[in-house]
Amino acid sequence: MSATHTSPPVQGTFRFIWNEMKPRPPFWTPFNMISIPIIVVGMVILVYRFIYGLGSVTNLNQDYAWGVWKGFNVITGVAFAGGAYALCFTVYVMRLEKYKPIIRVTVLNGFLAYVFYAGALILELGRPWNILNPIIGNDFGYNSVLFLVAWHFLLYIIAQFLEVSPVVAEWLDAKKAYRVLYAMTLGLVVFGITLSFLHQSGLGALFLMAKPKIHPLWFSEFIPILFFVSSIFAGISLVIVEGTLSGRYLKEHIGIPEAQSRAILFGLAKGAAIASFAYYFFKLLLFLHEGHWDLLGTGWGLWYLVEVFGLTLLPCLLFALGYRHRSLGIVQTAAWLSLLGVLINRLNVSLIAFNWESVNRYYPTWMEIVVSLTVVLVEVWVFRWFVTRMNFYPRPRAARAHTADGVPAARLVETA
Amino acid sequence: MESFTYVNIFETKGLEYILLICFLILFVFFVRYMNATEKRT
Repeated sequence: MSATHTSPPVQGTFRFIWNEMKPRPPFWTPFNMISIPIIVVGMVILVYRFIYGLGSVTNLNQDYAWGVWKGFNVITGVAFAGGAYALCFTVYVMRLEKYKPIIRVTVLNGFLAYVFYAGALILELGRPWNILNPIIGNDFGYNSVLFLVAWHFLLYIIAQFLEVSPVVAEWLDAKKAYRVLYAMTLGLVVFGITLSFLHQSGLGALFLMAKPKIHPLWFSEFIPILFFVSSIFAGISLVIVEGTLSGRYLKEHIGIPEAQSRAILFGLAKGAAIASFAYYFFKLLLFLHEGHWDLLGTGWGLWYLVEVFGLTLLPCLLFALGYRHRSLGIVQTAAWLSLLGVLINRLNVSLIAFNWESVNRYYPTWMEIVVSLTVVLVEVWVFRWFVTRMNFYPRPRAARAHTADGVPAARLVETA
Repeated sequence: MESFTYVNIFETKGLEYILLICFLILFVFFVRYMNATEKRT
């Protein structure tokens, strides 16, 4: 449609969005200066990968069909996105209104994590156009776990997009759209929680077929449950980390009072402590059930003990200690350790302890690592853009973004 | 043929039941430990 036929309000909306797309000062921050070169190099590598194929940039081989892009970005990233469904359950189902000020930003975080991390699935498909097969294929493969995961990723991304959309409608001052979208929230939340319960465990179920390949200390018939439980405290830990980082670097956009912010963080720490306590005992129970005592004396056994004690039990106890003594520093340390623990666990299952007897080991190339970082950094950029433009955090007071030429202004209202 | 023994908790899976009971008991203490500050304040 030509500009002359566009009605003035629509034209104004486009101009408003265009203006909002422009970067805001200060631009040359340390984060930008580090992330921009990585993203540029990562994009070039991705173009190269899609022209010349996976073999041109990755170390994948017949033994390792899944590399760091799936092991890190998909398998781990989706666990880190678990905070969205955990918090939605807490706020909308358990009615714990204390966490309402951070629900929007947590859902945004979950939505972007799924778009980028579940989207990273396509990078490691030898024939990426086949990604549509589970949706439009002639043979749907109802018995496949991957079929469930593919459909759930798609449906959950749509559900989270709709959950986030009232904030976008509010930003565009589209009152009618806002009312319609907001009315759908509760239904979408329930739908999203159901999907999350299933596909978080479904990710673990993908590895059930690989029993001969995964080291016995990491393989269990209960991997789906372990993946599900670990996604709860991994997601909560990421909310804590993201909240503290946002509080430090985006504080002018956050109107949550200090005392309320601390209460929320400590409440999250308590939740993470309980979830990781249950997870630790579940790991212990499975170890006793499998009875691989003889393997503990090996190098793999020591690595397993580091994961279980150093990166599962220790963060659990630190969360409890931090909550009891109301120490933000201890809680933040516990959250970082907990994220590291889940990362190591997921990498162990999908990469490190996978094909553990094979002499043909997989080590990612520098290009795979740069692309993995690119996915994370682009997500951070997009997250920052949303948070600095829209009402994902409660604003300290009613404000209005003024733009030139009667462009629709963002409706920045108190949402706490 | 090796006979089954009920006194070996590894074979009877008794250790798993003991662990489960320990978990339930420790969980109560764990939550009480965390909430101690709340009660004081």
